Amino acid sequence: MYMDIRRKILGEKADRRPVVDRGPPLERPLDEILGINMRNALIAKYNPRKAIEKARDKVAAKVALEAAGISCTRTIAVIDDYQTLAAFKPERDMPEAWAIKPARGSQGDGILLAVAKQGRNWVKGSGTVLTSEDVLHHIGKIVDGQFSGDSAAEDAALIEPLIIADPGLADLVPDGLPDLRVICLQSEPLMGMVRLPTNESDGKANLHQRAIGAGVSLETGRITRALQGGKPINVHPDTGSQLVGFEIPGWDRVLEMAGKCGPAVGLGYSGADIVLDINDGPLVLEVNAHPGLEIQNINQLGLKAQMKLMGEDFK
Amino acid sequence: MFSDLKSKLKRIKERATPQIRRPFYIGLAVGSFLLGLVALGLANTESFFALPSSFDGQATSQAIWGLKPSNLMMVLPLGSFLVVLARSFIGMRAFGLFTPMLIALAFLQIGPIMGPIVLGTSVLVGMIVAPALLRLRMTRVGFLGVLISLIVLTLVSLQMVFDTQLQVDAFPVVVCALVVERWWRQWEKDGPLDAARIAFNTFILAVVIQFVMVSHVALSLIEASPILMPLIIGIAIAILGRYRGLRLTEIGRFAPIWLERRRIARAKGPDGEEVEIELTLENTVLAARQDEAKERAPPLEGMWIINSADDLKGTSKRRRVPQAQPNSEAQFAARIGASGRPLKHNAWIIKAEEDV
Repeated sequence: MYMDIRRKILGEKADRRPVVDRGPPLERPLDEILGINMRNALIAKYNPRKAIEKARDKVAAKVALEAAGISCTRTIAVIDDYQTLAAFKPERDMPEAWAIKPARGSQGDGILLAVAKQGRNWVKGSGTVLTSEDVLHHIGKIVDGQFSGDSAAEDAALIEPLIIADPGLADLVPDGLPDLRVICLQSEPLMGMVRLPTNESDGKANLHQRAIGAGVSLETGRITRALQGGKPINVHPDTGSQLVGFEIPGWDRVLEMAGKCGPAVGLGYSGADIVLDINDGPLVLEVNAHPGLEIQNINQLGLKAQMKLMGEDFK
Repeated sequence: MFSDLKSKLKRIKERATPQIRRPFYIGLAVGSFLLGLVALGLANTESFFALPSSFDGQATSQAIWGLKPSNLMMVLPLGSFLVVLARSFIGMRAFGLFTPMLIALAFLQIGPIMGPIVLGTSVLVGMIVAPALLRLRMTRVGFLGVLISLIVLTLVSLQMVFDTQLQVDAFPVVVCALVVERWWRQWEKDGPLDAARIAFNTFILAVVIQFVMVSHVALSLIEASPILMPLIIGIAIAILGRYRGLRLTEIGRFAPIWLERRRIARAKGPDGEEVEIELTLENTVLAARQDEAKERAPPLEGMWIINSADDLKGTSKRRRVPQAQPNSEAQFAARIGASGRPLKHNAWIIKAEEDV
């Protein structure tokens, strides 16, 4: 029924994506959940080692994505050794609001955000004041590889201007940056969700820290189901906005972008993290070579079933 | 209460689909296999709490289990095999990949009870001191270095307290320091509960591996021939490592997917209707948006806009649309429904007579 109306509004041509008839939800086979073992096998099959390395390194991934014409956040600086760090003057080189990320960090480790400038210092989202020295120390920790897992001894710090979220989506949340996650096999989107920060998650879009995960229907771009800490909810607990039924602005563009991300980096099975910027629209934050499986619980759909429909044989 | 549980389990079993059932049985089989091996190892343990001084010069592993120190290396494949089983069939999360195996090896050299005590104390000391160390703003390597010194200090003092013969020198100090570091990072990321669970898993796995390594089966296999153990284990891992099904813990993790579906399926009647209403409600919203889009769509240049069939009859009703003025301010204005979706005209675009 959705599709009929969509066609009426957008015209036949709007259906660029082949619409797979997934059948009524309850009659689908339940034998469809993707486990970690199978996911690892798929990664071994589709994601070459070089591409995984590239995806893990945010700087290298950004170069690859931009070469493929996919918009990412702008870059202020990349600091990969102490010499560059010594030449770096936060006072002189940093804008009012910025984000420092370890290039090879995982799960949001080591990300420092400043939302405003106050005299000679910056202020974090929580109100904590950051001096130039704090900033340099943090960059030093990143360069040392403190946030980059056990294998990396050294790392680069990536400094970007802070993303201001599109109010179309950010009005749902009290604070923080909601992000969209789309899992793709080759260039075909399989499943999508949006992660909405809450007061409990301290503005972070991390599901472990009780951010809301909401499943988004690929066809309509509407939120079908929202979960916080494993419990289904209908409205955002802090803002009271209706979540279920909310249409993600620009969902078509998000899907189109997500489908390009994997091939751009060289990944066959990928999860793209996309944010909606107030000025630049959808921007790719990161491409994951090992996207998590929690999205299945959130959408109440199995990734394995979606892949079967795409013709994956799991061999 | 027991019968309640029994009937509940029976109901769950009836409802379970093959995707749930298969990994459950496999996980259960692997779990009981491990427990059986642990029982064998326990049966082979001569004394649980004995200090090395009482063994008059004999190595701890030989005195307690009859495992020669030269054969200690031979049990390593067995340990890695158990790590593979625990990870890909049961789904236990531990600090590091083969850390539990290395810890178990240290246990073998220190003793079944003394080993965990030594490990527990040294990790505990590290955990208590770590926050203070973190405040010193050291690099990661420096932090680990200080932790290693601290753990060695703890080990030496333990040696003095318990027994100077205590073979703590073989203790994997570096592994221990890494466990402490991982513990703090896990704590910062997911909270103390998660960190404690993983630490507990690591510990339990190490104890299990310890006892499996010294069962009669393992020891006689090692005694028979030095190539037997690595060969058998290598082949076993190569076969079982190909397992692609769900892990035992994943059944619990993804259970909501099928449990909730069942619940929805059961409440068919009223639920179905509700869904229907919701859909029609959304349809009206979409229809309203359609009108909105029509109003917002900027006029096209130099085209006849015809909104209805009547417009075609007289030329008077057709109108030529004026050219839109480029608005340089528009990019800064608030974008209503900033969907990025191109706004479509609901008008027929006629460029030639045939089109009519």
